[in-house]
Amino acid sequence: MAESLFYLLIFPGITFQLVCGWFFEWFDRKLQARFQRRVGPRWFQPLADLLKLFSKEDLLPSGANEFAAAALPLISLGAVLTAGVYVPIAGFSPASFEGDLIVIIFLLSVPTLAYYLAGIISAGIYSVLGGGRSLLQFFSYEVPLLIALSGPAVMAGTWSIREISSIQAEMGPFVLFQPIGFILAVVGLIGKLKRSPLDIPKAKSEVVAGSLTEFGGVKLAIWNTVMNIQAVVGIFLLVNLYSSWSGIVAPVLAVPVFFLESVLMIFVLSAASAVFARLRIDQLAGLGWKVLVPLALLQLLVVILMGV
Amino acid sequence: MDKMNIPIGPQHPLLKEPLRLNIEISGERVLGGILRLGYVHRGIEKLAQTRNYNQNVSLTERVCGICSHVHTTTFCRAVEALLGLELPERVHYIRALMCEMERIHSHLLWLGILAKHIGLEMVFMHTWHDRESILDVMEEMSGGRVAHAVNQIGGVRFDLDEDHGPMVDSTVKKLKVDYEELLDVIEHDTTLKARTQGVAPLSTDDMKRYCVVGPVARASGVDVDMRRDDPMPPYDKLDFQVITHPDGDAWSRTYVRLQEIRQSLHLCKQIIDDIPEGPISVRAPRKVPAGEVVMRSEAPRGELFYYLRSDGSDYPARLKIRTPTLPALGILPEQLSEIHIADIPVVLAGIDLCIACADR
Amino acid sequence: MQWLKKRMRLLLALVEALTGEAETVSYPKTELELPKGYRGAIQLDEEKCIGCGLCVMDCPAHGLELEKESKSVYKLTYYPARCAYCGQCERACHRQAITHTNQLPGSTTDPESIIVILKDQKEQEDSDE
Ligand code: SF4
Ligand code: SF4
Repeated sequence: MAESLFYLLIFPGITFQLVCGWFFEWFDRKLQARFQRRVGPRWFQPLADLLKLFSKEDLLPSGANEFAAAALPLISLGAVLTAGVYVPIAGFSPASFEGDLIVIIFLLSVPTLAYYLAGIISAGIYSVLGGGRSLLQFFSYEVPLLIALSGPAVMAGTWSIREISSIQAEMGPFVLFQPIGFILAVVGLIGKLKRSPLDIPKAKSEVVAGSLTEFGGVKLAIWNTVMNIQAVVGIFLLVNLYSSWSGIVAPVLAVPVFFLESVLMIFVLSAASAVFARLRIDQLAGLGWKVLVPLALLQLLVVILMGV
Repeated sequence: MDKMNIPIGPQHPLLKEPLRLNIEISGERVLGGILRLGYVHRGIEKLAQTRNYNQNVSLTERVCGICSHVHTTTFCRAVEALLGLELPERVHYIRALMCEMERIHSHLLWLGILAKHIGLEMVFMHTWHDRESILDVMEEMSGGRVAHAVNQIGGVRFDLDEDHGPMVDSTVKKLKVDYEELLDVIEHDTTLKARTQGVAPLSTDDMKRYCVVGPVARASGVDVDMRRDDPMPPYDKLDFQVITHPDGDAWSRTYVRLQEIRQSLHLCKQIIDDIPEGPISVRAPRKVPAGEVVMRSEAPRGELFYYLRSDGSDYPARLKIRTPTLPALGILPEQLSEIHIADIPVVLAGIDLCIACADR
Repeated sequence: MQWLKKRMRLLLALVEALTGEAETVSYPKTELELPKGYRGAIQLDEEKCIGCGLCVMDCPAHGLELEKESKSVYKLTYYPARCAYCGQCERACHRQAITHTNQLPGSTTDPESIIVILKDQKEQEDSDE
C-alpha cells in the first residue's frame, strides 16, 4: 500500500512529473531565448509563473459553463498524470501491463478533447475558433502518430511499453530501424502538444489564445501544468519506444542516458519551433493526409516485412 | 457553415496599433471585413495651426513613431520652400542619410513583424537585433532613438563629427553582411514562402485605382518612387534602383522591401562618402510669407504628402498631411476577402499599416 | 539535397546564436551607455539668461513658463512633466543658456513636485549692476 502510494505521489507519479514538467519548460524557454540571442529566464521562472497565476483573479465571461470550465482542466490533469505513471523511466515501471501503450495514447488524447470542449463552453468567439481548429488539427496528426507508434509495437510483438523498451536491448534501438516512424512520431508529438510550428489552435496573431482565451487564474495554471506534463509524458514515451538504451548500457548509466535523451528531444522540439513557420490549417491537413499518413503506412509495411 | 463575426482590434495581439476590423467568417474562410479608424486621432493638423513654425517641427515629428524623421524633413522643406531659403548642401546630405537609415530600420522592423505573425519568432528577434545597430547609430548621432529631432527650419541641428562617418560606415558594412545572411534565410525558407506566396494578390490596375504608394504599390508593378520622381536634393546625384515586382502578393511585398534595404545601405554608403563640407544651417525668419506649397517625399511606406498654406503670420494657416498608409487602407477590405483566417496577419503585415500616421 | 541545404540555413543561424553571446542585458544590473547627444531634462545657465522668452515661445509642449514683470524682474519655470524633451528650447535660446542634461526626472504621481524654478530674477540683484 505504502509502496503504491509512493509510486503514485512521488515517483514516477505526481511530484516527479511536475518537477520534470517545470524543468522541461524552463529548458525549452531558455533554449528559445538563446536561439533568439536573448538571455532567457532563470531556473525558477516556470514556478514563479505558476504562483503568479494562482494568485490571480479567476474570471469567466457570463454565459460560460462554470462547472465544465473548472472540471475540464482537472480531468485533463488527471488523465496526463495517470499516463505519466505508466511510462517507464529508464526501465523502471511499477505499473506496467500488457497494452498500456494503447491506454497512454488514449489518455494523452483526453486533453485535446478537453481543450476542444473548453473552447466551446467558455463563450468566447476566439475560443470557439480555437476549439474547432484544435479538433481539425487532431484529425490531421493523430492518425499518422498512431500508425507510427504502432511500428515499435509491431516490431517488438507486444503492446506493453516496458516490453518494447526492454526488447531493444537485444534488437538495438528502434530508431535505427524506423527513422521515418520516429520523425513522424515527433511531428505528431508537436501537433499533440500544440507547439509551434503546429500551434495552429492557439496562434496568437490569428485566434488570440485559442480555447484558453477566456481562462485565467488557477484554471489557466492547471491548463499550463497539463501541457507541461503532456510534454513530459510524450517525450518519455518516444524515448522508450524508439531509443531505449537501458538494457544496452551499464545499469549505472541507464538513468543519465535516459534523461540526456529526453533533453535532446526537447532540443529537437525547440529547434523545430524556431526553424519552421506556422502552417495554415489547410496546409497541415494536406501535409497530414498526403505526406504523413502514406509515409507512416510505408514505415509500418517495412516493419511488417522485416518481421516476416 | 454558419457565418460569424470576429472582431480584430482595437486591442488584439495581431495589431500593434489600434484599428478595428470586423471580419465576417464562415468556418476558416474570411468573407469580408469592415474597417474602423480613428482610435489614435490626435488632431495634429488642427494643432499645427495653433503653434508657430518652430514648434510645429517637434509636432510633426510626433505624427509617427517609426518614420518620424521624414515627417519633419518634409515639413521643413515645405516651410523652406515658402521662405525661399537656399540650404547648404551638407544639410541635404545629413537629412538624406537619416531618411535612408530610417527606411532600413523601418523595413527591418516590418520584416520582423511579418516573421512573428507567421510564427518565426527567431527570425523576428534576429531582424530586430540587426535593426538595433542602425538605431544605435541614429541615437548616437541625434540623441534620440525615436524622436531624432534632426531638423530645424533652415537646416539640421547636429553635425556629423569625425566619429560619425566611420561609425555609419562600419555599421553599414556589418549590416550588409548580416543582411545578406538574412536574405539567404528568407529567400530559401520554404515555410515562409508557403505562407506568403499567392496570398491576396492585387493587380497593377487595382493599385492605381486605389492610388496606393510605396513598397506595396511597387510590389504590384507600379513604378513609383518619390526619390526618383520628385527628388529632394541629394537623391538626384545618388545612384539607386527602384525595385518593383509584378506579382502583388505578400511574398512580392517581402521581396521588394528586402531589396530596398540593400538599396538603402548602398545609398548610406554613397552619402557618407560624398558628403560635402559646409555649414549645417542658415538663419530662418520667424514669419513665413503668404503662399501655399505642396511637398512630397518618400517615406519608408511610400509617398508622404504635405500641403502647407501660410497667411504671412508665424502660424501656419493650414497644414494637411497625407501619409502613405491612408490609401493603403483602401485596399484592405478588398484584400480581406476570400482568404483564410490564418492569412489575415500576413495581409495586414504585408501592407505595413501605420495607423498612427493615418489617423494623425 | 538542395532542399536540405536551404533548410540548414536557418538551423545554422540557430547554432550560431546558441554558441554566441546573448545580445540582451539584464538592465538594472548592467549600466546602459547613453549617447552623446541624449536629451534629458534641461538646465539653465543663470548667468547667460536674460529673460527674453524665446525659449518659451518655441516650446511646443508648454514646458517652460516665463512670468515677466519688467525687463529685470522675471521668473522662468520648467515643468518636466509637460516637457517632450524635444530640444527646441536649447536651439531657440540665442544666448545658449539652456542645455540638456542626460538625466530624466524620476517618475511621480504628483507632477507639481518636480517643477523646477530655473531662474527667479529679483529687483535687488538688478541694482548691483
Ligand atoms: S525640451 Fe522641448 S518640451 Fe522640453 S522645455 Fe524644451 S522646448 Fe519645451
Ligand atoms: S533661456 Fe535663453 S531664450 Fe530662454 S529666456 Fe533665457 S535667454 Fe531667453
